[in-house]
Amino acid sequence: MRALGRWGRRHANLLFLLPALILIVFLTVYPLVRVFYLSLYRYNPIRRIERFVGLGNYRRLFADRFFLTGLRNTFLFSVGATLIEVLLGLGLALLFNAKFRGRKLLLPLVIFPMMFSTMVICAIWRSMYHYDYGIFNYALRTAGFQPVKWLISQDLALWSVMLVDIWQWTPMAFLILLAGLQSIPGELYEAARVDGATGARLFRHVTLPLLRNHIFLALLLRSIDTFKIFDKVYALTGGGPGTATETISFYIYREGFRYFNMGRASAAAVVMFLAVSVVSFIYIRQVWRGEG
Amino acid sequence: MNIWRATRLAKRALFWAVLLSVMVFVLFPIYWMLTTSFKEPLEYATRTPSWFPHRITFQHYREIWKEGAYRYFINTVLVSLGSTLLSLGIAFPAAYGLARFRFPAKLDLIFLLWVLLVRMAPPVVLAIPLYTTLQGLGLLNKLTGLVIAYQVYTLPYSIWMLLRFVRDVPIEVEEAAAIDGASRLRTLVAIVLPLVGPGLVATAIFAVIMTWNEFIYALLFLRRPEVFTLPIHISHFITEYEVLWGPLMAIGITSSLPILILSGYVQKHLLRGFAISFK
Repeated sequence: MRALGRWGRRHANLLFLLPALILIVFLTVYPLVRVFYLSLYRYNPIRRIERFVGLGNYRRLFADRFFLTGLRNTFLFSVGATLIEVLLGLGLALLFNAKFRGRKLLLPLVIFPMMFSTMVICAIWRSMYHYDYGIFNYALRTAGFQPVKWLISQDLALWSVMLVDIWQWTPMAFLILLAGLQSIPGELYEAARVDGATGARLFRHVTLPLLRNHIFLALLLRSIDTFKIFDKVYALTGGGPGTATETISFYIYREGFRYFNMGRASAAAVVMFLAVSVVSFIYIRQVWRGEG
Repeated sequence: MNIWRATRLAKRALFWAVLLSVMVFVLFPIYWMLTTSFKEPLEYATRTPSWFPHRITFQHYREIWKEGAYRYFINTVLVSLGSTLLSLGIAFPAAYGLARFRFPAKLDLIFLLWVLLVRMAPPVVLAIPLYTTLQGLGLLNKLTGLVIAYQVYTLPYSIWMLLRFVRDVPIEVEEAAAIDGASRLRTLVAIVLPLVGPGLVATAIFAVIMTWNEFIYALLFLRRPEVFTLPIHISHFITEYEVLWGPLMAIGITSSLPILILSGYVQKHLLRGFAISFK
């Protein structure tokens, strides 16, 4: 018993970390190794097929119209949503960086949307987007315009899904950028004003350079997150109409969990993991600097 | 002088106009959910929906209660609390160990890096192997299985959050306790734990919000209605019925209330909570 106690004291560091280490390895390291392994097989547990095909899955993936469209849509969605969210977030942060009456009351309300479950949000927006009974088309008809096929038009569906993401997650970019604005010392502005800078020039030459890191982080964080887009596609459009809102996550879901082509789905998962990891690494380096 | 005052007035008017339109854009969907849940079907399933409910009805709330939506509520509470408690129980010692000890071969750095990478990774990437693993353990369609799967989200998250809070505890306090002859474990429970308390609560609240709203793993690992969580129930509602919006919004409101109340407690931690880390 005493020997055990001594061992425990010497290796206390490992004892504290061990449970977390075991669970992380079990839940992430092992599955990642396995997903890579599966991606080299033609594997369908329902039809009981398991055959080694090497890189065959990858070759077929990049010849698959659905996957390529999904790749394209995912990039489009991620870049579009990220840029708009950070831009709107910046505008909102400038607005709330001013002192005005009611600011304390309105600030928590602006952050409201990101607290709701994505499914609840999809329920609301799907009802508002409805072609016949939706409030948007009602407003358009009342104002004398043609109703819009928000979720059922090939050209528009992806943008309608994007608008929901913008509504839900602009508050995130806003929070990051507001924190950035408030970390800029007021004396800097005064000094610049003494030098004769005002308005737009103040913004361009004082605010923007000092906000650079925060803008960069907001861009990284939002692009990593929007790249995963799945829930909204599932609940709003189901990937359609046609392949208009097909995304990589949705492709993996459909191949893996509806058709049980788990080999091919795994190959797509590996591709996706690598793509996200590139951006994640940039983010992690940034966080590391902040830590050190 | 007059022109100067006029432009200032115009600027202020513009400011309030922009602020007002922003608030309308942000709040209208929530307003719409709230009012629709109190409208009679004739007021929303129509080409001329009403902007305000003319007659307020509670029929949708009664209906979802009678149809047993509380079961999904209970499931969600169980999964959410279960995954949060499990995560905190494992993450707190880990965060303490990482903050206070040295590790061989930079194990701590590698571990933290990996955990951060995992937190950024798309959950669907791990879904296939997790599915087969849970199947092998007989934990598919079980809330316990989902609690384990949710550690993919909550554990990395809790470790990073708590690491920050533990680092904020001055080491002198612990050294004083050690001089008084307290063991590591007693120091941890009697000294560090109370000091980290508020941080622990904040972390727990974020973990609850995260798991309460989670969708994809619940969708993939729970296929039987009796174990559904609220988001899954809502997703079935959305995709199966075209315009049953009254009950749908009623359930949306009910399922969001606990989260909205909890989020009030973590306002000042929001940034840390959602963005992990930076100063």
